[in-house]
Amino acid sequence: MSTAETTHQPVPSAIPAPPNFPVTWEIPEDAGLFWTLNRMHTPDPITPMDELFIGYVWQGVSTIAQIYDIPVRTRTRRINTYMYVTILPAAAAEDGREAQSKRSEAKLRAVFARIGDLWKLDLFPEVRQYLDDWQNFDLPGASMPALLAHFDETIDRHIRLWEIHFLAVLPKHIVVSMFDDLCRDLFGGKNSFEAYRLLRGFDNKTLEADRALWSLSRAALASPEACRVLEDTAASDVIAALEESAGGRAFLEQLQAYLKEYGQLSERPFQLYAPGWIENPTPVIKNLKDYITQPDRDLEAELSALAVEREELVAQARQRLEGYPQPVVQEFEFLLKAAQEAAMVGEDHNFWIDFCAIYQVRRVLLEFGRRFTEKGVVDQADDVLFLTPDELRETATALPRIDRRRVVAGRRAEMDYFRTIQPPAALGTRPASPPPDSPLRRALGKFFGPPPAPPTEPDILRGNAGSPGIARGPAKVVRSLAEAAKLQPGDILVAETTSVPWTPLFATASAIVTDAGGVLSHCAVVAREFGIPAVVGTGQATAVFRDGQFLEVNGDSGVVRVLPEDVS
Amino acid sequence: MDILWLGQPECQDARLVGGKAANLSLLAASHRVPPGFCLTTEVFRRWMPMAARDETELPPGTLPLALYEPLIMAYQDLAHRCGVADLAVAVRSSAVDEDSASVSFAGQHETFLNVAGARAVVAAVVRCWQSLKSPRALEYRRQHGLSVEGVCLAVLVQEFIPADVSAVVFSVNPVTGRRDEVVINVSWGLGESVVGGTVTPDTYVVNKGTLKIVERQIADKWRMTVPIPEGTEEVDVPRFLQTRPALEDSQVVDLAQLAVALESTMGWPVDLECAYHAGELYLLQCRPITTMDV
Repeated sequence: MSTAETTHQPVPSAIPAPPNFPVTWEIPEDAGLFWTLNRMHTPDPITPMDELFIGYVWQGVSTIAQIYDIPVRTRTRRINTYMYVTILPAAAAEDGREAQSKRSEAKLRAVFARIGDLWKLDLFPEVRQYLDDWQNFDLPGASMPALLAHFDETIDRHIRLWEIHFLAVLPKHIVVSMFDDLCRDLFGGKNSFEAYRLLRGFDNKTLEADRALWSLSRAALASPEACRVLEDTAASDVIAALEESAGGRAFLEQLQAYLKEYGQLSERPFQLYAPGWIENPTPVIKNLKDYITQPDRDLEAELSALAVEREELVAQARQRLEGYPQPVVQEFEFLLKAAQEAAMVGEDHNFWIDFCAIYQVRRVLLEFGRRFTEKGVVDQADDVLFLTPDELRETATALPRIDRRRVVAGRRAEMDYFRTIQPPAALGTRPASPPPDSPLRRALGKFFGPPPAPPTEPDILRGNAGSPGIARGPAKVVRSLAEAAKLQPGDILVAETTSVPWTPLFATASAIVTDAGGVLSHCAVVAREFGIPAVVGTGQATAVFRDGQFLEVNGDSGVVRVLPEDVS
Repeated sequence: MDILWLGQPECQDARLVGGKAANLSLLAASHRVPPGFCLTTEVFRRWMPMAARDETELPPGTLPLALYEPLIMAYQDLAHRCGVADLAVAVRSSAVDEDSASVSFAGQHETFLNVAGARAVVAAVVRCWQSLKSPRALEYRRQHGLSVEGVCLAVLVQEFIPADVSAVVFSVNPVTGRRDEVVINVSWGLGESVVGGTVTPDTYVVNKGTLKIVERQIADKWRMTVPIPEGTEEVDVPRFLQTRPALEDSQVVDLAQLAVALESTMGWPVDLECAYHAGELYLLQCRPITTMDV
């Protein structure tokens, strides 16, 4: 006897919070939304002050999505010290979804046609002005009222900078994704890297910084005293040791010039908590220590070779398309130029906004922190990050009457505790069906990567193919740049995620494996620039792999395989 | 008379150049027909004794010069006229009773597209000649009560047009039988995908009197034929083009007008193949509609 089959309608499903991650929704309707942890940018706990500033980052997405007629909005919540984000559909424009979609496409195409100039001529000068104004403001010399006004100004600038960020970056994501789609349509291949090989090898701020560091290492190799210090001295003592000899001092000058230009990089993008390299150059020194163990390598030549290959591949693509319908050829040329410019904009904005600007915000906050420490209301300068903006203003205005030590200690303890807990990937309510397809959704899907497929065999982990090639070597699980010194040439870097300041490690590692990200993530983009294999978005590489495990990383198939120990 | 050029009055003699070339030659003066020439049936008859050799590939250095010299010289002449050294050409069979009112022979004889260089052109011409003897062609002739012996072939060699958009135009509606409507099928790339039926094209019906588009169906166009080195290939249409109309309305009306004009010129309803390339409209073929009671 059979019963009639009923169609199973997908329904939204509540996501239970794990017992060690209790969730109380302050706003009841939040429980019905789908919140995800942004493992790619903010995998770690964030401070209360970060909550405001990172909140404004995501608000920038909403503001700019509206300007480009893209009907999505974002919201953020700090839950148990972790940053969760939801992306909501926005109400359609008055003239309906189809008209809005056409308008959006027209606006985006207008930007695609000049995305390089948009950044260089329209947006970057404004960014540079803010950075200069910040740098030139006399923080120690300002009166408290002036400093408070500067704090308000800093928040306004930050909000504006993140609008600028997405004015360039939303189109950047979309055009690179569209170019990738077109290349797949024309040249085939499920994991084909055709599109990305046509985009790499252009100069950009990230590669400029990485090449400058490599160049600095060549200078060290040419200086016996600098070499000796780097080889024999612990990273934290290197600066002092360099002072002790003439050759060391000469090299130190070059190092400080490097830090002046690139030292605003820190552990993670747009987070206040991590000190910039200029405050603590240990990550830079660790990279130098490794680079001098590769005296015969010519990184510059390796990077240039990729640019030569790019031009050859572009010529081949053009030859293949000869005689194709003109709309196809025109679209290819249009998107190629736009995507190439977008690739540069992608790296440049990252350096100037995601790192340099947030460093300036940190400087302002630390000035408050120093003054608070001086008056004994907090114990150390970066305790100020554990206050909310309103608490900071109250403390400053009432200085020294409000003692914040207890509340800071409590919040530090909370962050330290939750740092030991694995945060759930999602909270709230899983929607019944995936969101409607759109160019932005496709692009973000490639940026953040789809959820990893469960492994089908033991000893393998699947992720997204990020950069082509196969490499084998011992794994090194690096959870923060503080641990990076253990990475040796030939090792496979296993990390939760990477960003600009991690890229010098790409000159050491033979391959990269990450928990987070898709084929358009920063890690994948730069791995392709360095020509090393990468598998991104595995979901759990940092949990599953151990230091010293021998791995095979297949950047074409997106598979990481544990090899038996005796395979060499 | 080995070689006759499209547009020459002698090239309108279907007994020498076949129906396809004769029609095009007639129209070459007043329409944009890709320039070209015809190897007449006389050359075919001189080749026939050699047809016993069962070879599909010409070994290098075995070209009997007397036979092929007129062809090579005409090809070089055509290339010179078009200003391109190794001109890409279309090499097409033009059978003597082809493209007449009762049978269409459509697709029964060989066609070679995007052929460049003298050696490749000669090889393509020989393959056209050999196709007359193909089992499929012979069977077609038997089924339509046509003679198998004494059949004759001309070969048409024209500048190859890498079409951005191809159209098939009927000056009457072959489905409804209405004679006051033009029906147009349009798609991306070369016409092979439209004619061969591997793509669902955009379809328009245009009223001949008012020249208004009375029916329009924009299709999901998934496949297109494109030139590749030494030939053509059918590939996927990139997704951004699949649902985009392949022609503007004004171009659709132009095609309808062309069909009306040619129907008048030829005195019978016409089945046209056209190509758009770099903004220009080319007439590639004009033959009688064979599936209706005229």
